[in-house]
Amino acid sequence: MQIIEEISKNRINKSASGSILQKICLDKLQLNPLPNHKSEIWRMANKSKLARFLDYKINHDFYKPNIPYENESQKVIRLIIGDHKKINIKEQEWEIKELDDQKILNLIQHKLLESDSTQNWSALLNHLLTNEKNICGLNIKGRNLPHLEIITNSKNNLFNSRTLIINIEKNTEVEISQINLGDDNSSLSNSSYLYLEEDSQVNHGIVSYGKYKSHLINSLNVFQKKNSVYNLGSLQFKFDFGRLEININQIEGNAKTNIKGMQITQDNEQISTYAKIAFNGPNGFLDQLNKSLARDRSHSVFEGLIVVPRIAQKTDASQLSRNLLLSNYAKIDTKPQLEIIADDVKCMHGATISQLNENELFYMRSRGLTLEQASKLQLRSYYQEIISFLPISKERWDLLALLLKNK
Amino acid sequence: MVNDNLVDNIVSEPYKYGFVTEIESEKISKGINEDIIRLISSKKNEPEYLLNFRLNAFKKWQAMEEPDWADLGYEAIDYQDIIYYSAPKQQEKITSLDEVDPKLLETFDKLGIPLTEQKRLTNVAVDAVFDSVSIATTFKEQLAEHGVIFCSISEAIKDHSDLIEKYLGSVIPASDNYFAALNSAVFSDGSFVYIPKNVTCPMDLSSYFRINSGDSGQFERTLIIAEEASSVSYLEGCTAPMFDTNTLHAAVVELVALDDASIKYSTVQNWYAGNEQGVGGIFNFVTKRGKCLGKRSKISWSQVETGSAITWKYPSCILIGEESVGEFYSVALTNNLQQADTGTKMIHIGPKTKSTIVSKGISAGKSSNSYRGLVKIGSKAKGARNYSQCDSMLIGDKAAANTFPYIQSQQPNSEVEHEASTCRISEDQLFYLQSRGIEFEEAVSMMVSGFCRDVFNQLPMEFAAEADKLLSLKLEGSVG
Repeated sequence: MQIIEEISKNRINKSASGSILQKICLDKLQLNPLPNHKSEIWRMANKSKLARFLDYKINHDFYKPNIPYENESQKVIRLIIGDHKKINIKEQEWEIKELDDQKILNLIQHKLLESDSTQNWSALLNHLLTNEKNICGLNIKGRNLPHLEIITNSKNNLFNSRTLIINIEKNTEVEISQINLGDDNSSLSNSSYLYLEEDSQVNHGIVSYGKYKSHLINSLNVFQKKNSVYNLGSLQFKFDFGRLEININQIEGNAKTNIKGMQITQDNEQISTYAKIAFNGPNGFLDQLNKSLARDRSHSVFEGLIVVPRIAQKTDASQLSRNLLLSNYAKIDTKPQLEIIADDVKCMHGATISQLNENELFYMRSRGLTLEQASKLQLRSYYQEIISFLPISKERWDLLALLLKNK
Repeated sequence: MVNDNLVDNIVSEPYKYGFVTEIESEKISKGINEDIIRLISSKKNEPEYLLNFRLNAFKKWQAMEEPDWADLGYEAIDYQDIIYYSAPKQQEKITSLDEVDPKLLETFDKLGIPLTEQKRLTNVAVDAVFDSVSIATTFKEQLAEHGVIFCSISEAIKDHSDLIEKYLGSVIPASDNYFAALNSAVFSDGSFVYIPKNVTCPMDLSSYFRINSGDSGQFERTLIIAEEASSVSYLEGCTAPMFDTNTLHAAVVELVALDDASIKYSTVQNWYAGNEQGVGGIFNFVTKRGKCLGKRSKISWSQVETGSAITWKYPSCILIGEESVGEFYSVALTNNLQQADTGTKMIHIGPKTKSTIVSKGISAGKSSNSYRGLVKIGSKAKGARNYSQCDSMLIGDKAAANTFPYIQSQQPNSEVEHEASTCRISEDQLFYLQSRGIEFEEAVSMMVSGFCRDVFNQLPMEFAAEADKLLSLKLEGSVG
């Protein structure tokens, strides 16, 4: 655990000036360099995989990823974090502007100061290790915006960290897709912050696609003000160690959140999703579905938590975890939780673990399909629900084809 | 909106079992150490192996830390400030009930427990435990005719040493957890049941636990063994007097079911819960576990938890035998400042094992009520099936209802389903019932009882009626 050693020996950022944010993070991490394994959100994490995540050399340089569709079209703005391209576009109906450093600090500082270092370990580590070139802050305003595609990537044999902060102004509607590309034998740490002001809407897609022995920790923090709508579609696959931490905070209630996520594990991989949705005002709405599919000797984890304090009356929240276990050696852990104090609420959660539906398979085979075709068809329908929720055009990232080819 | 005064009136319904029996009792000095354990063991004339079992458990307990993962907050317990053995003074050996101190009989009469065998109509055999010792066991002879052994665990240690040596600690080893280790070191009494092969127990068996003294803890141990193709239904009830201090209750219950055997274990727990300010009440830390060793064996837990300041209890089933079945039906009610963290563990090891979990939580006042349950499907549990349902009802906006289900599966050819929902007593429904001429109180009680119906249906007759009454008594009018 090269990185932890450097943190405890205070060797990080000695050369660089080190921002205020990095100082805060360093202080917190020196007290607790590793997350507490007894805490619920780290209990399931595979220790040796986490150790490998921390075992690469820190890299601040930019390496251009190999991605399809090089040319930007009119409808898509592509941004690769780390490649210095300044973005300041102003059109008639919309505007995308970079945030200055002070604004970025203001936006994320309070979040880091108030929480404890186990809950927020991934973000603390990220901010400590991200230098200013790899921080992307955007302010978005307006309507009829082109699709925004933000790419983060890692380079093999290196530890890469990226931070993304987006402030979405009032009455703005935007589609953002975030692509995390993991290289062979590499680690990628990514922290994203989305601030949704009143009456705004974001359709957000996160696709994390790794290679052999890629490691990823992606923490996502969303703050929603009144009447905002946040739709998240996420897909994680091919990571030896993949971890998505979703924190949604409906600051004033009266907001809508829809989440559809999916994780696919094979070989010896471990992919987990942690989702915490806090309602801090009345009339909040949540609809969350998390699907997972585990093959070979892999391990898939989902942990969800809905928090409804007394102020959050009339909350309507549901969380569903559906899992397919396809091998005798694979393992699925799921834990959808509820913490409720307000009494006039509708909260539900559910979880299922099973294999492919035998009746459906039998029916398709009786119609002349082979077992393989029938299973593929069933898997396709299983994926489709999530993939169709991602705001990514089919031509650019044909994920379904990619997924089915892999199986 | 609902009348607030009414709410207060009924929430403050007095605890009617809160009296203290004035009886001379024999207590040992406070604290726990090796000497105390040797003293308890010698008082009970125990064989060598049991003393070693206790000392071993004590050693393990000393090395353990008190668990803090449960969603409970309470002042640290001073384990040296507890009396680990307290017994009412009486003659050494009792041959008939006439020799039992009449005050004790009176106590149990007051609690509605039929110790005098004239009350045969009830057809329930009772083992009554008062503080640390078992006072009397009824219907022993009739049961013996069928080969059923039903006695206090101290008697069993003397008379059926082979069974005790074989099974004690086989389901819950002394090192299982902090409270189980403490219990294993200092357990004083409890019930022992042995149902021989091919016998269906002719009557329901029952234990009644009563804590009387304010400074002694109760550490009872129950062991039930059901041999091949036998079946038994066992009931357990608990009450305690009102004290300003907190009393510790750390029990261990072990069940063993062999081929085709079935055990039904029902609990109505009504320990003193403390007053509205949260002063006093029992700390209830209980480890209950059943092992379905044999093929097609079945263990069913049903519980109604209404008392205790703190409840920490997870009756579990280890399903080892092929096609064995585990069930858990629970109603947990918390009011005022009560805290409950309760649920179950279903561990599927053998193939084609099935389990059902139905949990209903009701939280009122400022209480906190958590369901915490584990469903684990092992890699050899081919064809295993689990269904869980956890519903919470919130009464008032100061109570908390939490659900923490842990689901782990390693077998693709298995199905696990979990559902949970939260609701409150809807005003529309209340209004409808009231418009039909049903009083407010009765309407609430009807709705709570409807909410718990799935669980009450599983309770034995005598208990179902009592549980229904208990809930309405504890809750009526606390709707906000």
